[in-house]
Amino acid sequence: MSSMDPTEAFRQEASELFETLEGALLDLGLRPDDRELVDSAFRALHTIKGSGAMFGFDRVAAFTHEFETAFELVRKGEIKPTQELIAVALAAKDYIRALIEAPDSADSIIGDAILDDLKRFVSPTAQVLPVGSNADIPPVSESRPAGWQLRLEFESHILRNGSNPIDLLDDLCKLGPCFVVPLTDGVPLLDELEPEDCYLKWDVTLHGACDKAAIDDVFMFVQDEMKLTLAQVERAAPVLAMPIADVELAAPPAPAPTAASVPAAAEPAAPSERKREEPRRTEERGIATVRVQAERLDELMDRVGELVIAQARLSQLAAVGSDLSIKMIAEEIERLAASLRDTTMGARMVPIGSLFGRFRRLVHDLSRDLGKPVEFVTSGEDTELDKTMIECLADPLVHLIRNAIDHGIEDTETRAAAGKTEQGRIELQAIHSGAQVLVTVKDNGGGLNTARIRAKAEELIAPGAAMSDHEIHQFLFHPGFSTAQTISALSGRGVGMDVVKRTIENMRGSIDLSTKAGEGTTVTLRLPLTLAIIEGLLIRVGEGRYIIPLPAVEECVELTAEDERSRGRNFLNVRGNLVPFLRLRDILDVPGAPGQHQKTIIISTGETRVGLVADQIIGNHQTVIKSLSKLHSDVTIFSGATILGDGTAALILDVAQLVALAQSRAEKQQMSEAA
Amino acid sequence: MAEVTEHKRWLQLPPDCSIASIRQVYETIREAFSRNDRLEIDCSAVDKVDVTSIQLLLSTAETGKAQGRPVVLTAFSQSLRNTLRRAGFSSEAMIDQHFHKKDGA
Repeated sequence: MSSMDPTEAFRQEASELFETLEGALLDLGLRPDDRELVDSAFRALHTIKGSGAMFGFDRVAAFTHEFETAFELVRKGEIKPTQELIAVALAAKDYIRALIEAPDSADSIIGDAILDDLKRFVSPTAQVLPVGSNADIPPVSESRPAGWQLRLEFESHILRNGSNPIDLLDDLCKLGPCFVVPLTDGVPLLDELEPEDCYLKWDVTLHGACDKAAIDDVFMFVQDEMKLTLAQVERAAPVLAMPIADVELAAPPAPAPTAASVPAAAEPAAPSERKREEPRRTEERGIATVRVQAERLDELMDRVGELVIAQARLSQLAAVGSDLSIKMIAEEIERLAASLRDTTMGARMVPIGSLFGRFRRLVHDLSRDLGKPVEFVTSGEDTELDKTMIECLADPLVHLIRNAIDHGIEDTETRAAAGKTEQGRIELQAIHSGAQVLVTVKDNGGGLNTARIRAKAEELIAPGAAMSDHEIHQFLFHPGFSTAQTISALSGRGVGMDVVKRTIENMRGSIDLSTKAGEGTTVTLRLPLTLAIIEGLLIRVGEGRYIIPLPAVEECVELTAEDERSRGRNFLNVRGNLVPFLRLRDILDVPGAPGQHQKTIIISTGETRVGLVADQIIGNHQTVIKSLSKLHSDVTIFSGATILGDGTAALILDVAQLVALAQSRAEKQQMSEAA
Repeated sequence: MAEVTEHKRWLQLPPDCSIASIRQVYETIREAFSRNDRLEIDCSAVDKVDVTSIQLLLSTAETGKAQGRPVVLTAFSQSLRNTLRRAGFSSEAMIDQHFHKKDGA
C-alpha cells in the first residue's frame, strides 16, 4: 500500500512545474528577449496540460490550453513579454495552482478574467469587453453557491490579549473564497488614538456552502470579546466580479482618493486586479499547510526515538549522581523530549476517513457482482491514526468487508425468509478507546455457523474434542481454513483471515470476533495509536527486564500466599472474579527461585483479562520500539525490543499472544476438571 | 526597540511596528506631526506588522487630511503589503485610497 496515489503524484509533479514556470516568467521579466525562457515556460505549461488531462483535472487542462493559446504570440516572437503581461501570466499560474490544490475555491470567473487580461495584453486590438462591464458579472440566473455575510466587530482590548483578527480572517478564508472589506470609519484621528486598541471592523462575504458551526469554530476563542453578525445568503451576490472600487464605495464612508495618489489607470484596472488576488490568496493560505515527504516524517520519528533513549540514559545518570543542576537539566530535557515526541507523533496522524472512502467503491462493486443489495455506513472518519497504521490497515479491512458481503450478508431470498430487510447493512466504524483505536466491521447477516466451522475444524483436530465457541471461531484465523462450499473470485480459498490476524498482530493490535446466529457478526480490530513509541510498564523477571504496553495494563496486585498455594490451578481471585494468570518465570524459563513478593500485572485485550506474574514492577517507561531480527521471527510472545537508560535491551511482551496462551491453558484446565 | 529616523519632514518607520512597539512609533509620529506641516513616512523597513500598525497608518493619513497637512506614505515593504492584503486592503487602488500612498511607492 505504499504506492503513491496517481493524483497525488500529479500534484507533486505540478508543484515542481509551477516552480519552473514561475522562475521562467520572473526571469523573462528581466530578460524579455531570452527565447530559452519562453520555451521553458511553454514546456512546463504543456506538461501541466497533458498530465492534468491524463489525471482527470479537466479544468486545469482547459484553462492551461487557453493560457497557451493566448501566450502563443509571445512564443512566435511577435509580442514582447511586458511587465504587465508577466504579471498576468503569474496570476494565471496561481490560478492553475488553485485549480489543482483547492478546486472548490477557484472560481471560474477569476479564470475568465485572467484569460481576458492575457488576451488584452498579447493582442491589444482584440475584441475584449471593457473591464468592469457586465460581462464580468455572471447573469443573475447563474447558479451560485450559498454563502454567508459576516460583520466582525471586536472589543477594543482584544489585541492586548494576543488575539489577532487578521489570523481569524485567514482562518475564515480557509472555509471558502472570501471577500473581505475592512471598515475604517471607527479609526480615530491621532489625538484620540489608543494605539493598542482595536478600531477596525470587517465585512466578509464567504462564498460556498459551509456550516455555521465551522464559522463559529473560527471565532471560538474570541467569541466573548467580539460581536459576530452572521446572515446566510441564499444566492451569493456576484461580488467577486465586482470592481473593488465599487464595493469600497458601498462600504461606510471612506476617504476619497486624492488626485495625486491614485493613478488614472488604477480604477479601470481594479476589477481584474481583484480577481487576480484570489488565487494569490489561495497560495498564501497554502503556507498554513506544508507537504512533507513521508520518509522525512519517518526519519524525524527515528531521531525522536534516539533522543528519547539518550534522554533516558541522562535521567538515569542524573538519578544516581548528586549534582542538583544536572538533575534539573535532566528533568527539563525529559519534559522537552516527551513534548517533542507527542508533537512528532501528532504530525504523523492522519484521519482514518481517508481510508474509509476507498471502501465505498468496493462495497458498491461487490454488492452489484453478488446481487446482494448492501447499505454501507461509516462513522468516526475523523478518528486519527499514525499514517503507517493507516497504510497497514487497508488490506485487512478489504478482506473483512469482502468476507462480510460474501459470507455474512445473506441473499435476498434468505433475508426475506428470515423476516429481514432485503438490503443488508455493513457498518465500518472507528472510535478512540483510551490509547487505542477500535475499528469495527459489523454486518447484519446470518452470523457465523459455529457447527460448520467445528465440522471443518475436526479435519485438523481430534473429532469430539472439547472446545468453546471462542476456540472454534479462532480456527477462522488458521491459514487455509475455509468453510465456503464454493470458491468465488472474492473469498472461499481460506486465504485472508489468517493474513488479517497476522497483519493486525504485527501492528501490536488484536482482533475480536463476536457473532450471533441470524443477527450478524462484528469484527473489532484494536490498534495502538502509533507503532513507534509507546508508554510501557517495565518489569523484572529473574535478571531480565521486560516491557508490557501500558494501554493493556489494567491494574497491578500482589500475588498472595493463597494464590501461590493454588499452584497448578493458576487462577487469581480479583475482587471475587477469577482471572487466569501466567507465571512469566515459567514461560520465559527463568532459573532459580522466585522473589518473596511477586507481583501480578492484570492485562486485558478487549473482554479477556489475564494476570502476568513478575518478580518486580520497576515503573513506567517511554518505550522506543525496535523490531526483532528475522532470526527471532518464530518467537511469538515478544513483539519487539527497546533500549533502556543503562544501554541494556528489554523485550516487549506481546499482550495478545500471552492472553491467547493463558486463555487456552485456562479453558483446557476447566475442561479437564469438568471431565 | 522602535527607532524612527527623522530628517525634517521625513520619517522612516522601524522594522517592528507590531503591538509590542506601536506606542513608541505612535509617539514619534505625533511628535513629528506637531513639528512639521507636511510629512513623508518611509515604510520600506517595516517587517512586523499587525492590526495596530494598519490603524496607526490609517489614523495618520486621516489626521493629515483633516488638518489640511499632507501626509504621504512611501515604499511599502512586502511584509506591510502582505498584511494589508490579508486585512482586506486587497488592491493598490484601495491602499492608495486609504493610506494616501505616494505613486510608485
